[in-house]
Formats: sequence, C-alpha cells, structure tokens
Amino acid sequence: MPRFLHTADWQIGRTYSRFAPDDAAALAEARFTMIERLAQLAVDEQCEAVLVAGDVFDAQTVSDRTLRRAFNAMSAFSGPWVLLPGNHDAALAESVWTRALRLETVPANVHLALEPSVVDLSPQGIMVLAAPLTQRHTYEDLTAVFDSLQTPDGLLRIGLAHGSIQGVLSESVDSPNPIAPDRADRARLDYLALGDWHGAKQIAPSTWYSGTPEPERFRNNEAGFALVVEIEGPGAEPKVTSHRTGQYQWHQWHETLQVPTDLDAVLARLEALEEPAVVDIQLEGTLDLGGEAKLDQALSVAQGVHRSVECDRSRLRLLPTEEDIAALHADGYLGEVVAALREKAMDDTGAAREALVILAGLLRDRQSRGVNGEGNP
Amino acid sequence: MKLDRIQVEQLRQFQQPLVLEGLEPGINLIHGPNESGKSTLVRAIRAAFFERHRSSSVDDLRPWGDSAATPTVTLDFEWGGERWHLVKSFLHRKRCDLSIGARSLSGEDAEDRLADLLGYQFSGRGASQPKHWGIPGLLWVEQGTGQVLAEAVNFAGDHLKSALNSLLGEVASTGGDDIIQTVRQQRDALLTSTGRPRGDLQKFSEREEALKSQLDALNARIADYQTQVDRLGQLRQQQRLDEQERPWEEARQQYRKAEQDFQEVERWRQDQRREQQALDSCHQKLELLQEHLRQAEGQQAQLKERERRYHEASNALNRAANQGAGVQDEEVRARDAYERARDMLKLARQQEERRGLQRDLNQLSDNLQTLKDRLGQARTFQQQLKDLQDTQQREGIDFEALKNLRKAEQSLNEARIRSESVATLIDYTLEPGQEFHLDGEPLTGQGHQQLLQEAELAIPGVGRLHITPGGEDLSELRLQLSRLSEEHQRQLATLQVASLAEAESKAERQATRLNDIKYHKDMLANLAPDGLDALTGELESGNRRKEQLQNDLAERPECPGETPSLSSAQGALDVAEKRVGKAQKAARDHQSALASANVQKENAEQEWQLLREELESDAYRSRQKKLKDDIAGAARDRDELQAKVEQRQTRIDQARPDLLQQDMQRYQASADQQEKAFRDRALELTGLQSRLEAEGAEGLEEQRDECLVQHEQAQRRYEELKRRSEALDLLLNLLQEKKQALTRRLQAPLQRHLDHYLNILFPQARLSVDDDLIPMTLSRRGSQGQETGPLEALSFGAREQMGLISRFAYADLLREAGRPTLILLDDTLVHSDRQRLDQMKRILFDAAHRHQILLFTCHPEHWRDLGVEPRDLLALKATPQN
Repeated sequence: MPRFLHTADWQIGRTYSRFAPDDAAALAEARFTMIERLAQLAVDEQCEAVLVAGDVFDAQTVSDRTLRRAFNAMSAFSGPWVLLPGNHDAALAESVWTRALRLETVPANVHLALEPSVVDLSPQGIMVLAAPLTQRHTYEDLTAVFDSLQTPDGLLRIGLAHGSIQGVLSESVDSPNPIAPDRADRARLDYLALGDWHGAKQIAPSTWYSGTPEPERFRNNEAGFALVVEIEGPGAEPKVTSHRTGQYQWHQWHETLQVPTDLDAVLARLEALEEPAVVDIQLEGTLDLGGEAKLDQALSVAQGVHRSVECDRSRLRLLPTEEDIAALHADGYLGEVVAALREKAMDDTGAAREALVILAGLLRDRQSRGVNGEGNP
Repeated sequence: MKLDRIQVEQLRQFQQPLVLEGLEPGINLIHGPNESGKSTLVRAIRAAFFERHRSSSVDDLRPWGDSAATPTVTLDFEWGGERWHLVKSFLHRKRCDLSIGARSLSGEDAEDRLADLLGYQFSGRGASQPKHWGIPGLLWVEQGTGQVLAEAVNFAGDHLKSALNSLLGEVASTGGDDIIQTVRQQRDALLTSTGRPRGDLQKFSEREEALKSQLDALNARIADYQTQVDRLGQLRQQQRLDEQERPWEEARQQYRKAEQDFQEVERWRQDQRREQQALDSCHQKLELLQEHLRQAEGQQAQLKERERRYHEASNALNRAANQGAGVQDEEVRARDAYERARDMLKLARQQEERRGLQRDLNQLSDNLQTLKDRLGQARTFQQQLKDLQDTQQREGIDFEALKNLRKAEQSLNEARIRSESVATLIDYTLEPGQEFHLDGEPLTGQGHQQLLQEAELAIPGVGRLHITPGGEDLSELRLQLSRLSEEHQRQLATLQVASLAEAESKAERQATRLNDIKYHKDMLANLAPDGLDALTGELESGNRRKEQLQNDLAERPECPGETPSLSSAQGALDVAEKRVGKAQKAARDHQSALASANVQKENAEQEWQLLREELESDAYRSRQKKLKDDIAGAARDRDELQAKVEQRQTRIDQARPDLLQQDMQRYQASADQQEKAFRDRALELTGLQSRLEAEGAEGLEEQRDECLVQHEQAQRRYEELKRRSEALDLLLNLLQEKKQALTRRLQAPLQRHLDHYLNILFPQARLSVDDDLIPMTLSRRGSQGQETGPLEALSFGAREQMGLISRFAYADLLREAGRPTLILLDDTLVHSDRQRLDQMKRILFDAAHRHQILLFTCHPEHWRDLGVEPRDLLALKATPQN
C-alpha cells in the first residue's frame, strides 16, 4: 500500500525585506527547519517517498551555503525524494540544479527531475511522471506529455507538475504554466501532485495542490501544510490527509476604528492570537490620545510574544478629545497650536498628526517633570 | 500709588532727619545744588525697596565716620485704598516694618510683599544690581541713563509680560518658550536652517540612495545573468543543429563547380591574348609603311620650297647691290663737313683768348691807377702826422700836474673862504663926498672890507681908527693861507702857465691833437698796411705785368670779319663728327649685308639642285612602287585577324568570368564563415558556461534579497525621519507663528501709548516695538518724506527723550493692568534744547495726570513753568525735624 508525502513551494532562500532584520532572519531560518520537519513527518508517517512539486528554491542564484543547507536538511528521511523544477527554479541551461550537481551536494536518494521523464520508483511501487519547467514561463501545458507516457502495469502512475490549473483558481486565468483540469483522468494518473498555489487545495478527487509547508506571505489560504497520500493500488481513490507543518501563522487585518470599542475588539483579537505569529495590522478611522496610548501598550506586549507585530497607522487620524487636550494643560499660544494641529489632523494624516503626537509628548513630559510654570512670579 | 512722605536719617549726609512730606499726586519738583543730597535721597528710596535690611553690602548708606549709625528710611504711601507705612533700618540696628492699613508685616515678609507689589527681585548675595530691579528699574531713571532703555526693558520683561497678561487675559503660555526651544533643537537635529536634511535624516537619505544604487546594480547583474543563461540555451541548440547538418560542406561543393567554369574561361582568354598580339603587330607594320609613303610625298613639296627660297635670295642680293653708291657718297660728304667744322673751331678759340688778354690788361691798368692814388694819399698823411707829433712834442702838458694844480687852487679857495668868515668885517656907507682910508687905501660910497690883521682906518677930519681883528686862530689861518698860495704859485710854474684857466685850455687842445694823431695813424695803416715801401713795390710789379700782357696781345692779331662763338663752333663740330660716324657705319653695314645675301643665294641654289637630281632618279621611282604593294598586303592580314578576335571576345563576355569569380569568393566565404561560427560558438559556449558557473556561485539573487532587506529598512527609517522632520518643521513654524501673533497682541496697547506721547513731539511719527517690547526704530516725517532709522542712530538728547516717552508708555500700560506706578527722574532732559524741552514738559505734565513723578534737578529755573511749587532741599535741611 504505497504511501508518500506531497509537498511543494519550499521557496528556499526567500528573504523578508518588510520586517526588522532579526525577524527576517528568523523567518528565513524557518524555511530550513521546515525541511527537517518534513523529513521527520515522512519518517513518522511511514511514507515511502517525498514528492516536491516545484519551486524548491526561491531563486536560481542562491548562495552555495543555502544550497548545501537545503540538501543537508533532508537527511532525516532516507527514502527517495523527487524534486521538480518550478518557475522560480526552472531547469535552464544553467540553473540552481546544475550548480547543485556541480557542487556534488545532491544526496543519492534525491532524484532531480530536470527533463520531462518518468522517475522510476518501482521499489516503492510508484512511477513518477515529471513535467519540469525548463523555461521560466511557458504557455503550453507541459503535462500533456503524460497522456502518452507508458508505465509498467501494476505500478502507480503519479503525476508531478508545477503550474496553474486552467479555469479553477481565480488568479490563474491567462496565467503562464497552464495545466488542464482533467489531466489526471486523461493521462490515467492515480494522483497528480501539484505545486505553485501556496495554500493546500483539492482540484479533483486525485488532483491536489499541497501548498507551501511554511507560510511566507500574508495572502495565503491554508498555507503551512503537507499532504500524506495513501493509495491502495492502481485505479484506487487516493486517501489524502493534511498535516500542519508551518511554524508561524501569518495574519493581516484591515480594521476601521470608529468608536472606542472598535479598538478594544482589535486588541482582544490580538491577545487571543496563537503564538508565535506574524501580524500586520492596518488601521483606518480615528483614534483619541487615550486610545493611541492603549494601542501602543498592547502592541508593545504583543511584540514580546510574537515573531513580528506591525501596525500601520498612516491612514488613522488622531483626534484628541476635549479631555485629552485639557489633560495636556496647554495654555496660551500652546493651546492655540494644539487646536490648530487638531484641526489640521482632521483631514491630514501626515505631518500634522505627527506634529500633534510630538507636541503632546513634550507636554506630557513637561507635566511629568512637574515643570508647569508655577515657579514663575 | 501715591507716595506721601519720605523721611531719611543717619544716612550719608543726612545725619539729622530729613522729611519730605505733602507730596503731590502728580509732579513733585525737588531741587538743590550739587551735593545737596538729591542723589542720596534717591539712593535712600532705592535702598528702602531693593536692599534687604539684613544686607551687609549697604555700607555706602553709612554717614561719614559714624560706625554706629543706623541709616533709616521711612516711607508713607497709598495703594489699593490702604495706607502703607514702611520703616527700614540698616547696618547697626537692622529692621524692616511694614503696616498696610491695620495689618503688619516685618522682616523679609514685608520686603517680599513690596517686591511683589512693585515687580522686582532681591539679590541673592551682595548689593542689588540692575538685573534685579524689574519694573522700578524701568521707571526710576538714574542720572544720565535716560537714553539706555533696552537693558532695563529686558530686566523688567517678565514683570511687564505678566502685567500685560493680566491685561489681555491668559494668552501667554507658561513654558511655551521652553517647548519652542525643545522643538527647535529636535528639528535642527534633522534639518538645516534652510530645510535641507542633516544628521540622521541626511545619513539615512544617503544610505537609502547608496543601497538603492547597489540594489539597481545587483538587479542589472541578475538580469544580465538571466540573459546569459538564455543565450547559453540558444547556443547549445544551434551548436547541436550545426553538428548534424554541417552546412559549410555544401558551400565548398558549390565553390569547386564555380572554380572549374572559371578555369575554362581563363583558357579562352589566353588564346585571345595571343591573337590580339598578332593583330597589334600587323597594325604596327601597316602604320610603318604608310609613314614611308607620307615621307615620299613630303620630298616633292620640299623641292618646290627650295626653288622658291633660291629665287628669294637672289632677289635680295640684287636689292643690296643697288643701295651701294648712295652710301659711299654720303661718307665723303660727311668727312668734308667735319674738316670745315674743325677749322672754324680753331679760329673761334684764338679769338676767345685774345678777348681774355684784353680784359686782363684793362683790369690791370685800373688797379695800377688806384695804387698810385693810394700812395699819394699815404704820403700826405705821413707828412701831417709828423707835423702833429712835432707840435705835441712842443706843447704837451702833464695831466697829473694839472690835477695837482686843481687841488692846490681848491685848497687855497677854501682857506680864503674860511679866513673871510673869521675876518673882521667893515661895512660902510659913506655920505657922498666923504672919504676915509683903510691902511692908506681910500674908501668911498658903499662897500665892505674884511680884516685879517691889524689895520688903520683914517677918517679925514676925524682921526685914525686902529682895528685889531679878534679870533683865536687867526694868525694860524693867515699862515696857512700864505703857504697854500705859495704851493699854488709853484704848481703854476711847473706847468708854465699863468693861471689854472690857461692850463685847462692847454689840456683841451692837447686832447684834440691826440685824437688827430690817432686818426692819421689809423688812415695810414688803412692805406698802406705794410708800409709805404711795400706799396711802392706793388706798383712797380703791376707795371711789369702790364708790359707782359701788352706783348701777348700783340702776338694775336685781330681776325677780320665775323667769327662764331666758341660754344657754337664746338656744337657744329659735334654734329659733323656724329654725321661722319653714322655715314661710316652705314657703309660697313652695307658691305656685310651684301656679303651675307650672296652666301644665302648660293646655298639656296645648291640645295635646290641636289634635291631635284635625287627625285628625278630611277632608283627612287622603283622604291615608291614597292611601298604601295606592301601596304595593300598588310591591310588584308589585319582584317582577317580582327574578325577572329571579335568572335572570341563575345564568347568570353557571355561566360561572365567576373561573376564566376565572385561566386567562388562567396562560396568560399560562406563555408569559412559557417565553420568559423561553429568554432566561435563552441568557444563562446565554454566561456559562457564557466562565467555563469562563477556568477552563479556568487548567489546574486540571495545577495539582492539581502540588499533589498537593508534598503527597505533604510527607506523605512528615512521615511520615518522625514515624516518626523516635516512634523517638527510644521510644529516649529506653528509655534513661532502663534507666539508672534501673541507678541503682536501684546505690542498693540504699548504701541497706542507710545504713539500718544510721540505725537506730541513729532506729529505722525511712529516708534515700532520688537518682540521683546523694546522700541527699535523711529519713523517720522523728515525733509525727504518719511524717514526711518534705528533709535541708536539718534542723538543723545533725542534718545533720552525717546527713553522717557517709552517709560511713560510702559507706566501707562502697567497702570491699565492695575499695577502701581511711581516715576523717579534724576536730573533728566539736560541735553534737550529749549523747543524740545517745552514739548517734553507737555508730555511730562500729561503723564503726571496718571502717575506720581518725583523730578530731582539742580536747575530749578528750567522747570519754572511746570506749574508746581519747587521744593528746595537746602531749605528742608535747614529746618531740622524731630
């Protein structure tokens, strides 16, 4: 009863420019530990092979060190690995794969499917029909060749491809690297293992996207999984189970603050979030000085527990209440300046807002130092 | 605030109590001469307020030599509807008591209450200084400081502003300046004064740009790398294709075919070249034969030409022979004419010589006559000179002796005159017919006599009068007179004359004679410079020369008839000579022309004869016939060859050997090129492969991603800082703007009061005030329209006036704010002229309606028209108080 692990879109070598350097480093590191977890998962689930459906590497020219680390991370699983070039790591005349071969870093149990071919895993009862990308983008269906490829009877015909199923995924209309939705039927495949879509997704009874095992962007649905596929024999329906492999959950919230309770709701969600996560909160609407302080406090706490917590307040208007203003004890022309900035900050979320924050900070500092002008005669 | 009473005791010169009471609410004029105590009084008032009673820095208050004194000041004033009574003692018994209505305060409480009321501070240590004086420092003007305003306003600043604050409501900000300061510091850390980035902002801006360019460079390299990878794929495909098809071999095949065709055509062309050479030699031969024929025809023409030339030469010889006789005749005639002209010239020359001798003879005769005359004259002058010299010998007179005579005669005359002045004078007028005798000499009528010696006057009928003249040196005079008379006589004798007059006339004659002698000598030297003998010799040699000339003349007889002049005879000879020359040359030329014509004629005849004999010979005729036959044969050969060559050329042209050659080149080049491309591609493949391997090992995309992280980091930081700098800039501008608006609001009331006073002095003038409420510039109507200038530029007097006006304006402002105002002026406005002073008095009087003013002066006469009773400090001191 053949049992194998289907995964894809490792994107090894990916960096995260939007995060602070230490967060970015941790997230990049997570991609290597992900391979180790996959190997361990294959061992734990008694899989006989691991099929990786493209985009193993994020770029062709990653450093030698990255290359070696990626292959070394596979060592826990000694069964066969089949790696398929995707659009990020296409099998070009000179590619990440030719370099890996030159560096002699590819272990013997790792099969690189650099040409349209059949990878013979007959000891595991599997024949893998591989359709690697040999150009960065192609507009023909590379899996069409599967229809005519012959395999011995009694062995599973497993397709391995990277691209967009035509007409199924909303993003994939007119996208490059098209794949026919009925390819599994037409090529008499027992299972078609796909990569490119970063969330786990079933397309047909025996056609699946596994998604990336470690999320690397906010716009992922069901990212962070690998699929264990079990097929009784040729012609049997595959049993697919999804296993959580992701270390970090990525969350991006767009919230509009209108009344004070809106902020409370957001902060409650933040508090309830499973750790460790990568969070990006984008706020709109208005906030008073009290709310601003509360938000600062909550973010500071969250940054302590999660990998990264970011909050974009550029579209948030600061609207101090009368009480806020009174608490600043800004008299005379300072009061006029506060009022003027407040008015400007109503329509302007840029300099006036920042200026108001600075002034409020200075005034609060002054109060906390007890310098309030009473010393003057 | 109204000060009612001041009492001072044991303070400097006021050992005894001095009381100033019944002070008016307006102006109080306190006067006294220098050192009468005005300044002490002012010092006392200042000390009462400014100095702590415990202060040990007030030794100056102590009366001279009284170490145990307790300087005390007592002040009574009204404020806020209550009576205030202050007694303050220093040094020996330090004490301060203040009662306000029914309340009492003492010590520092009392002092602080006063400081609060008037708006000043105390010194922490030592004596009070201007910086502590606050509002009183502004309103209490010390002697000679009325023009210094800015500092006083600065020291009063906080008190003024707090007073203004209460006037305008709460508009000033507590600590606003600190906030502005902080914001400015933070802004200036990021932006320069002109708003350009600096500090971290600049650093991150530069870092962002540097990373951006690094990123661009990496992206470019990656794009290049990817292009190369694509190229590698393409090249490999092409190389495989070429290896299978080997396209250069087909090209080589085509080359060989074209080469064969071309070689065939080459052979045709060799044949063609050979026959063309034959044709060419045939052409040459024909050409040669035809040349010979042309030469024969040329000889016939030459024969005719030679005959013509023979006739021409023989005619020329005949013409020359005919001209011969004329030429010889002319030569003979010309020689005759020449001989005649030569004779004529000889005759003319002889006559010319004769005329010259005659002329010399005449001139010599004239000279001889003149010489004769001169000799005669010279002899006469010689005789006369001799006579004159004889006379001089006889009658010469010595001029030195004459000078002595003149001197002797003058001395004698002087002596005589002197003797007459001392002589006894007898002046007499006798009746007609009367007579008497003096020393025997009869005297009649009228006259006088001088007596130098005793004399006897005998008057007939009367008797004798013996007269002895008096005088001290009469006898000496008499002696001198006789001596001089002797000398005179001696001089006359020397000169052999009777009198001086005679001697003088003799001298005049001698002078005339000496002139004559000189004249004769000069004439003689003129006529005969070398003496009479030389002159005589000259005359004799002249006579001998005359004889010689007469002989020469006789030898040349006079020619009868007309003879030509020498020059015209010479001219005629020249003409004749030229004619002879010409005639001889013509004869020679004719001879040679004749000879040459003869030779030419003979030559021409010989040449003509020779050619005629040859052309008429048989050999010549047979040669000509053979020549014509040869020409016909050669022409036939030529036409045959011509036809063959043309035929073959057509065949060669149709085969287009040029195109065949180009085909060969083309096929060869394509084969070479294709093979070369194959080899080059193999090389490029190797190079590209190894380059890509090297670049791939650099991990370009990973580097780019790392750079991207850094770049976005820097960009975010830059944008944060930029936003912050913009916010700070905005905040600072807003703060300053609002603060300025506030300052303007504060300025307005002060401006109003300033204008009020200023317009009394300068109508329509304006004194503008800066942010710190200090008057800065005066703008007023001048001779050239509106003039504006800083206060410091004004004269001392004007600055003092502006200072006073400003202080009154501050006082008005303080009064409006409900603050007490008391103005002390110590000898102010002494630098103002009369007109200004009058205006300032109006201002002072006006201000006194609102403020109590204590005006101290040592010039009470300047202030008589203030309408107040002056208080004389001396008078006050004279009435001791208790």
